[in-house]
Amino acid sequence: MSFFTRGFEGRRRDDAPEGRLPPGQYLTGGFPVLSAGPTPHTPLEEWTFTVEGGAETVRWTWDELRALPSETPTVDIHCVTRWSKLDTVWEGVSVDTLLDAVEHDASYVLAFCDGGYTTNLPLEDVTGGKAWIAYGYDGEPLDPEHGGPARLLVPHLYFWKSAKWVRGLRLLDDDEPGFWESNGYHLRGDPWREQRYWGD
Amino acid sequence: MAGAAVLGRLTTGWRVAEVVDAVDETPRVRTLVLAADGWPGHRAGQHLDVRLTAPDGYQAQRSYSVASPPGEPPAITVERLEDGEVSPFLVDEVRAGDRIEIRGPIGGWFVWEPALGGPLLLVAGGSGVVPLMAMARLRAAAGSDVPARLLYSSRSWEDVIYREELGAVADGPAGLEVVHTLTRAQPDGWTGYARRVDEALLREVAWPAESGAQAFVCGPTAFVEAVASGLVALGYPSERVKTERFGATG
Amino acid sequence: MSVGTRTEELRLDGNALGGALLELLGPEGTAALGTCGSCGARGELARLVVYVRCPGIVGRCPACDAVLVAVVEGPERTWVTLAGLRSLELLRGDG
Repeated sequence: MSFFTRGFEGRRRDDAPEGRLPPGQYLTGGFPVLSAGPTPHTPLEEWTFTVEGGAETVRWTWDELRALPSETPTVDIHCVTRWSKLDTVWEGVSVDTLLDAVEHDASYVLAFCDGGYTTNLPLEDVTGGKAWIAYGYDGEPLDPEHGGPARLLVPHLYFWKSAKWVRGLRLLDDDEPGFWESNGYHLRGDPWREQRYWGD
Repeated sequence: MAGAAVLGRLTTGWRVAEVVDAVDETPRVRTLVLAADGWPGHRAGQHLDVRLTAPDGYQAQRSYSVASPPGEPPAITVERLEDGEVSPFLVDEVRAGDRIEIRGPIGGWFVWEPALGGPLLLVAGGSGVVPLMAMARLRAAAGSDVPARLLYSSRSWEDVIYREELGAVADGPAGLEVVHTLTRAQPDGWTGYARRVDEALLREVAWPAESGAQAFVCGPTAFVEAVASGLVALGYPSERVKTERFGATG
Repeated sequence: MSVGTRTEELRLDGNALGGALLELLGPEGTAALGTCGSCGARGELARLVVYVRCPGIVGRCPACDAVLVAVVEGPERTWVTLAGLRSLELLRGDG
């Protein structure tokens, strides 16, 4: 890169605790809202979460999901647009709990959402305590602007993988790129290896 | 059209521009006059993209409307947005002689020239006045007598951009009619509008729909959508209401 | 600031697509007429409902919200999908 803009530093990176910020990220105080479309509003009495593609399709209503054992993970989150937020507190059901209800031999999942958004992940990135269906943030019900009533939460990958308004997971044998993965963003998205775009 | 991503060999479109002048318009707003080799010229209403690159390679990019009329070098008028990333840099840090990357001109729809006729209704919310000012400046430079009226919403008199020039351009029989509304604070003795643009205000200020007027509305999204619906409710066909929404993150 | 306002502020129009599509459609690309592949609505690209930095740019049909255009500008490449459009009409102006 040969052209630099005199005096432009971008956002500050030196105020984060040692080792907590992946390369190219900066800390944000707020919680930016990023959206690719209008906020959906599915009434809770109609809302369901589905795991399909296994031996059987399994579906939970909102009340059934809320009755499952829940956790309150505290995690750092990293957006590909460069902001990071540390020690965010969520409440939700571990994806392990949901997948344990289904017999399958899948290697990949595709998360699908109200509004049509999709994102793909290898099975090992959503199991082993690495992912949740989150319905609470910072002690409150998850705001619709941030993906409520429930979003996928996969904090070890760039936050576009933490699909807002998630309605289910499709179990797959082969990887199938989701919305952004079909349009230039990296298939996996590991912020520590700075996997932002195709070819990174 | 068959699906999937298109990957072609693109020339970048970016070119280096030098800041030749910086003019403070209000405490929050500054105009940067640019010189770029090979600038192809622009139409009133078009914008350009600005790209800043930090030493570590990080880049930030924003769009700014061109304030100058066709024929003059491109000038952008930038409002410093709170917690912005690019606008504070352009308003507070950049000085004459600095070089920034620009891309443009951009836009084939939100444009006006005298040949397109009128009457012309320009409705501005805050820094949304910038592309409309390019249109007003073109109209004045061309000696056009297309009837034109600018309805300009600002927070206070101190926030009115191009304040003196708008006062001057209103003079004369074919002058631009300027109607201000100040939504948060008004000077002593102010007898003008002192509220947000609503349908009643539009009804009093806008050309009647039967006049065949063409409207250009620019500003924050909420402002633009409220005004556009208001004009449509007054009978303006949607083809005669052109809009440009500004983002609130700078 | 209410949460509703944030989403509203994020919603721009097709003028915001012009830069990313500059090399593909030229400086006046936002005047190109698109037809929605989902609902058949037709209008200038400038009239699309556009969301930016989400993390890319998405342009949706103002009538039915279907995604018509998505653009991602990477470090040295731009990815564009126009898959949601049934067609695009560009004025050539060469008489």
